[in-house]
Amino acid sequence: MSYCVNCGVELDATASACPLCHTPVVNPSAPVDTVSPRPFPTQKGEVPEVSKWELALLLSAMLASAALCCGILNLFLHPERAWSLYVIGAAVMLWVWFVPPLLMRGMHLCTRLVFDVVAVAIYVYLISVDLSGSAWFWHLALPVILLGGAAVLFLGLVLRGGKRSILSSITLVIGAVGFFLFGVELFLDWYLLGTWEPTWSLVVVTICVALIIPLVIVRRVPSLREEVRRRFHM
Amino acid sequence: MAKQKKEPKPGWYRLDNAGVLYSAIQKEKYSAIYRFSAVMTERVDPDALQRAVEKTMPRFPGFRVRIKKGAFWYYLEPNNAPGPFVKRDISNPCQPVRFKEDNGWLVRFFYYERRISLEVFHALSDGGGALVFFRTLLAVYLRELGHAVPNGEGVLDVDEPPRPEEMEDAYTRYAGKKVLRGGWARTAYPNKSAAEPFYTLNVTMGFVPVDKLKAAAKAYGASITEYLTAVLMLSIMENQKAEKPRHEKPVALAIPINLRSGFPSETLRNFILTVRPCIDPELGDYTLKELVDYVHHFLRLNINRQQMQATFTGNVRFTTNKLLQIFPVFLKNPVMSLSYKLVAARPYSATYTNPGAFRVPEEMAPHIQRMEVILGQATRPSPHCASISYGNIMEITFAGTGVSSETERRFFCRLVREGVPVRVESNRTG
Repeated sequence: MSYCVNCGVELDATASACPLCHTPVVNPSAPVDTVSPRPFPTQKGEVPEVSKWELALLLSAMLASAALCCGILNLFLHPERAWSLYVIGAAVMLWVWFVPPLLMRGMHLCTRLVFDVVAVAIYVYLISVDLSGSAWFWHLALPVILLGGAAVLFLGLVLRGGKRSILSSITLVIGAVGFFLFGVELFLDWYLLGTWEPTWSLVVVTICVALIIPLVIVRRVPSLREEVRRRFHM
Repeated sequence: MAKQKKEPKPGWYRLDNAGVLYSAIQKEKYSAIYRFSAVMTERVDPDALQRAVEKTMPRFPGFRVRIKKGAFWYYLEPNNAPGPFVKRDISNPCQPVRFKEDNGWLVRFFYYERRISLEVFHALSDGGGALVFFRTLLAVYLRELGHAVPNGEGVLDVDEPPRPEEMEDAYTRYAGKKVLRGGWARTAYPNKSAAEPFYTLNVTMGFVPVDKLKAAAKAYGASITEYLTAVLMLSIMENQKAEKPRHEKPVALAIPINLRSGFPSETLRNFILTVRPCIDPELGDYTLKELVDYVHHFLRLNINRQQMQATFTGNVRFTTNKLLQIFPVFLKNPVMSLSYKLVAARPYSATYTNPGAFRVPEEMAPHIQRMEVILGQATRPSPHCASISYGNIMEITFAGTGVSSETERRFFCRLVREGVPVRVESNRTG
């Protein structure tokens, strides 16, 4: 029998290292037994992955039937207007949001967000078709959707894994909201006025900066951070 | 006092409140599973074991079930599918269950060399119930090998029909009128390390002589459970201290208590409640003696009929809450999962369970060398601890999905320093 020189525990005759501290077993009078069976099997077992096909099929069928029914109804009810596009577009958008992530395991956040943003863009495009608004779609809606997608992607990548502190996360979210609303006014001005005259978005950005500065200070100064932690029990 | 509520019609039955929780927190990569093993004196005969399983299962309808998803709750119904079949053991025990795979079986049987193992999904039964099942299975197995093993002393007669009291929901039976709300428990030190890849469960077992352990515990004026609880708390405290955090979090353990001793019941279903010994290292360092004293008095102060009854009455009320009932199960599961995380995972550093001594009829004893217990994975990569004794061998298991073996190293080294010899086996060296 061998004992771990570090831990002092007796080791199994088949152990080549201490399982507690990983110190190799070097015992000339009792070499490691490589013939006897080990205390535990060496073959790993694996459980099958949970199948999400049933749920994906159910969701697809529900969304498809809702879209199809509205499409057919549109042929008889107010056929002069393509109102069913709203429902069909929403069904497509919801399908893209929920079904591919069910079937494609480990889908990267970027890929998923690209799909989601494209789905939103398609939905808004269908609305613009019904309202004959291709101008506002291409010059206003699409840039805003892309900007929103970029902001969400940034937050997703930065906050992924939940390793950032609550204070840092709040700071980043506020910053992203300020940036997005600033961009919204920029695109609005370009579309409506043809020039950039920032007004309300500057107020929003100022408020965001005013919120961010104390958060950054609290994050940086240990005594303040401790005070916040004490007051809020974080 | 005790009241018998109307039981549902035979065929299907409701989960008890512990079962409701364990089924709600079930995930693709997590199931509440535990394992009991018996290491026999002879190499296991898988055919005899399969015959024993087939003879024993009908006597235990609570284990011969599948779990189904209803509109508002999961429920259990008899499983008449073929099986369960005895399998060759694997290196990574307590793998998650799939409710729709393996013919819906929620119990598994394994063999490896001289070891027979039983794995149980916690929604079916607690350790107390599963040990009755396992003891009977071992008796039937030994009979299959030609040994004369009588019924009694915890071995049930597999030829007699199941008794209704073995299937009762003892929580509901003993639920009183007063509810004890524990208040919000502080987040404890999680004692976690980097996670191993999925399918990995690191298991380290330590074997110590019961007489030496008892003597060490007695030197502190404590029972074995109290002593081991204190040593585990100290090991986790040392883990935290080694990380040099700016602020140390409390170290708290979940200690399951078998309620059958305080509330007479023959149920083989869940009937446990946990208590939470907790120390705050921010207040200063603790010696082992101080910790043993704390645990000793804490357990004596908190394990009493009235307090426990009021606590599980609150749990029963929660599952019978009218507002909660109207939510469909797919909405309820995430809420219950979150509440489990906040109330039953975050305030605890680890779980330590000690079902105590495994006793068998005299005729069985020479055929069993030792017993083992494994508490399956936690919801985070941190180890759980469990122990069981048989004869003069106390087996203590650390099992978890984390890479680090620091908790078990500190724990067993402490026992060695206390004069208790430890022999260690692990699947890490596989």
